[in-house]
Amino acid sequence: MSIWLIMIVCGGLTFLSRFLPLTGLLPRKLPPWFEQAMGLVPIAVLTPIITHAIFITSAGGFSIADNHRLPAAFVALVTALVSRSVVLTLATGFATLWGLDYLI
Amino acid sequence: MSPALSEFRQGLLDELPLQIGIIPFGLVYGILGIESGMSLVQTCLLSVILFGGASQIVFTQLITAATPAGVIIASVSAINLRHLLYGLSMATYLRHLPFGWRAVLAYLLTDEAYAMSVRRFRTAPGSDVMHYHLLGTGLLLFSVWQLSTIAGALLGTAVPEFLQLGFAVPLSFLAILAPVVRKRAEIAAALGAGITAIVLHDMAWNLWLICAALAGISAGMLTARINRNEAS
Repeated sequence: MSIWLIMIVCGGLTFLSRFLPLTGLLPRKLPPWFEQAMGLVPIAVLTPIITHAIFITSAGGFSIADNHRLPAAFVALVTALVSRSVVLTLATGFATLWGLDYLI
Repeated sequence: MSPALSEFRQGLLDELPLQIGIIPFGLVYGILGIESGMSLVQTCLLSVILFGGASQIVFTQLITAATPAGVIIASVSAINLRHLLYGLSMATYLRHLPFGWRAVLAYLLTDEAYAMSVRRFRTAPGSDVMHYHLLGTGLLLFSVWQLSTIAGALLGTAVPEFLQLGFAVPLSFLAILAPVVRKRAEIAAALGAGITAIVLHDMAWNLWLICAALAGISAGMLTARINRNEAS
């Protein structure tokens, strides 16, 4: 499938998820289990991307030793919890990563 | 100033402080888009077609590897399913509007616009120009997102590889998630999904993402059920 077609299908489905609730075609209340599952979706989708990006190397292997992304992510996590700021989290995370890359 | 215009202006003002987080996120997406092999036009137009930061970044991550179209579409759409909930909680305020208005506001309904406008809808007395607030928050976010995407895409290949800018993806997602993961069910969902992603990382077709998401949702719902049973 061409990349354009994938983009358009993704865009169409995303628009539907935004628009359908405003049409009256959906029931006003969704089943509680469904709402609960939907509420967990961002966590369940974004966390794997985080751990994958930290622990899996670009070559596709699992890496802990000498993995500078691990301490950098930890510093960023603490920053995020304390500051709740995207900018500060990016800054401390990258500072740790680049610092370790430079020193070691 | 007409009531509609003043409501629109209020939306712009309410949304303004959030742009500090949007600009770096847009830049990162733009850079990653180019790095993933998408063209300048594709990278920028995806911001218009999808208009959802996290899902666009996932798109760039999956399009690089040889991922089947179905897996990309399922992963990206799964992330954006949460908009169903935003739409439902907004429906009471917007359902009476003409089709065109609803279509435009639905398109503009992102996390950040929703967050600011739903607060306004709930606190402001029921006026008939309330939707101009969402138009304000949504349009500001849309403009800033497009501009920072374009800036990032133009920067794209000029960023040296040793900077490892792809690391901005886990960092910005950490910044989004860390403050909101609070309840036991949410922690279980994060652990379940995060660990599954590592265990299944070499699954064919990049299916690890969907499997990890399903594992996370199951872990979260199971934990919530156990908590309820303990409480009752």
